[in-house]
Amino acid sequence: MSMTKSKSRRITTIVRYVVLSLWALMAFFPIYWIVSTSFKVDTQWFAWPPYYFPDPPTLSNYMNVWFGAEEYTQTQYAISSQKPLISLWNSTVIATISTFLSVFFGSIIAYGVSRYKILSEARMFQLLMLRMIPPIVIAAPLSLYYSAIGLLDSRTGLILVYFLTTLPYAVWMTKSFIDEVPREIEQAAEILGASRWRTIFEVVLPLIRSGLVATFLFILILTWSEYLLALILTKTDVTTLPIELSKYQGSTEGRVYGRQAALAVGITVPLMIVGLIIRKHLARGFSFGMVRR
Amino acid sequence: MARIELVNLEKSYGFVKAVKGLNFTIEDGEFIVFVGPSGCGKTTTLRMIAGFEDPTGGEIRIDGRVVNDLEPRDRGLGMVFQSHALFPHKNVAQNIEFGMRMKKVPAEERVRRVREVAQMVRIEHLLEKMPAQCSGGESQRVALARTLVTNPSTFLLDEPLSSLDAKLRRELRAECDRLHQALKRTFIFVTHDQEEAMTLADRIVVMRDGEIVQVGSPMEIYSNPVNRFVADFFGSPSMNLVNGDIVQENGALRFRAPPFDIVLPERFKSAAPGKGTLGIRPESVEVGNGAKGDVELPVRLVEPLGKDTLLYFEADTERPFVAVTEGFGMAHINVGERVPLSLDHRRIQLFDATGQRVEASP
Repeated sequence: MSMTKSKSRRITTIVRYVVLSLWALMAFFPIYWIVSTSFKVDTQWFAWPPYYFPDPPTLSNYMNVWFGAEEYTQTQYAISSQKPLISLWNSTVIATISTFLSVFFGSIIAYGVSRYKILSEARMFQLLMLRMIPPIVIAAPLSLYYSAIGLLDSRTGLILVYFLTTLPYAVWMTKSFIDEVPREIEQAAEILGASRWRTIFEVVLPLIRSGLVATFLFILILTWSEYLLALILTKTDVTTLPIELSKYQGSTEGRVYGRQAALAVGITVPLMIVGLIIRKHLARGFSFGMVRR
Repeated sequence: MARIELVNLEKSYGFVKAVKGLNFTIEDGEFIVFVGPSGCGKTTTLRMIAGFEDPTGGEIRIDGRVVNDLEPRDRGLGMVFQSHALFPHKNVAQNIEFGMRMKKVPAEERVRRVREVAQMVRIEHLLEKMPAQCSGGESQRVALARTLVTNPSTFLLDEPLSSLDAKLRRELRAECDRLHQALKRTFIFVTHDQEEAMTLADRIVVMRDGEIVQVGSPMEIYSNPVNRFVADFFGSPSMNLVNGDIVQENGALRFRAPPFDIVLPERFKSAAPGKGTLGIRPESVEVGNGAKGDVELPVRLVEPLGKDTLLYFEADTERPFVAVTEGFGMAHINVGERVPLSLDHRRIQLFDATGQRVEASP
C-alpha cells in the first residue's frame, strides 16, 4: 500500500502534536497542581477524589504564610511568624549578589581563557570537574571553616559559597560566547585607541549581552533554589526560601500542603518574572553562535 | 610623517617561519602594496606593523623609532580589516566617533568630524543606521571613515576589498586611490589580487614563502619580472610560459619546445644551454597576419570579451597558449583551425632551469 506524500505528512504532524501534548501535560501538571492547591481550603488538600479546582478558592494560605495574618492563624496549621518575607529578602539579596559576582568574574576569567589561554583545556575541564563533587562532601568541612571565621549563618557566607560554586558554570558558558566574538572587532577597537579593559567593557561584553543574560538567569536559578548548602551553613538568622519551604514538611506540623503550595508559588513567581523581562535576550542567548554572522 | 622601516623582520610560529628576515623601507606618503599567494606572510607582516603580532626577530621602526614593544594604539596607525570589523552594537556614527572618544575629543568636535569624514567617503545618509543594515560596500566605506577620522600617519589595509563583488571592488579601489591622493598619507595595502596591486601601488612588494621576491613599480614588475613566479603571478590573462630547451646551434641560441623552435634574440647570448622557460605576454603575440610566423598552433577556445578577444591554443604546455586580439575580428575563427603566431621578440622573457630570469646583456 502506498501513501501519498501529503497524507504521510499529515500523519507525521498528528503524531508530533500528540507527543508534544503528552509531554506538555507531564511538564505542566505539577505546576498546575501546586497553583491549584495553594488556593484550596485545608479539607481539600488530601481529598479523594481530588478537587481539580479549589472550591471555593481561598487566599488564606497566602495570607498566612506570607503575611502571618491574624485571622488565619487560628487554625491548626497556623504559622505565626513572618519568616517567609524575611527569607524572600535573604534569598533575593544572596541569589542576586552571588549571581552578579559569578557572571562578572566568570566573564572576565572566560575572556582570559578565550584570548590569552590563561587556563589550558585540561584546567578548564578540571574547573568543571569541581562541580561533580557532591555538595554534601564540602558542606561539612565548610561549616567548620565558616564557624571558625564567623561566616556561619551570614549572608556573606552564602554569597561567597554560591559565587564560588557557580563560577565554573559562568566561565564555561560565557567563554563559549566570547569565543564567538571575532578577534578583528577587538583589534579594531584597540588600534582606534581603546585599552584592553575599555575593549572588554565597550565592545566584548555588549556584544555578548544576550549570552550574559542567559548565563545570569541560569545561575540565578541555581542559587535561588539551592538547598543543601543553605541548610548546613545557616541556622536561624539567615534562612533562604528553599529552607523555609522545607519547614512545612516537619514532623510536628504534618504535611501542610496548602501553605507549602502558597509558598512554592511565591518562590517561583519572581524567577518567572525575571524570565519574562529578559525573554528577548534568552532566545538569542541560547541560540548564540548557531547563526552565522 | 611616517617612514616605516622593517629591519631583519622575522616571525615564527613554532618551527614554521612565516616571515623570514624582511628588510624593507616604506617612504612617507607612499602607496605600498604587499602582494602574494595566501600564506606568503604578507598579512603577518602587516599585523606586525600594526602591533597585533610580536616579531620573533628584527625591528620595526616608525620614523626611526623602534616600535616593537609599543601597543597598537600607541603607534599612530589606522587599520581597515578584511571583515570590516565594525562594532555591530553601535550605529554608523558611533562607530566612526569611537576612535575620537578614546582620545577624549570633545563632543561637538566629534559630531563635526563625523559629518566631515562621512561626506568624504559619501556615507552621510548612513550615519543613523546599524552596521547590519549596511551593504558590504557601505560597511567598507564606514570602516574607512572610522579609520580616517583618527587621522593616522599610515593606513594599513588588510585585503579590504576581497569580500566585495567585482564591481564594488573596482569602485572602492578608486576610492582608496582618491583618498591616498587627497590625504598624502602612507598606505600599506595587502592583497592577493595582482590587479589591485597593479592599479593602486606606487611600489609593489611581491612576497612568497615569507620572503620578498621583488620590489618595484607596477610597470617594472610587469615588464621585468625577476623570476617565473612573478611573471606568472602578474597580468591577466597570465604570461604564456613554455618549458623547453635552450640549445646552441650554428652559433645561434635557439629555444626548442616542439612545436616551438625560436631563434633567441641577441640579448640572451649569455644564456647557458639547458632546460629553460620562454615567457611571452598574450598581448605580445600577433595572430595570423599572413606571414608564416614563429609557430602555427590549433585554436582550442575563443573568448570574445567585447573590447578584446582571447584565443586559446593547443601547444603541449601546462596551460593553453593565449593570445589577445583587439575587437571581434577573430571572434568567428573555427576551433581546431591552425593559425600562424608571431611573438614580439623584444618582449620575450627567458627563465633558466631554476626559474630565475636570464638577464639580457646590453
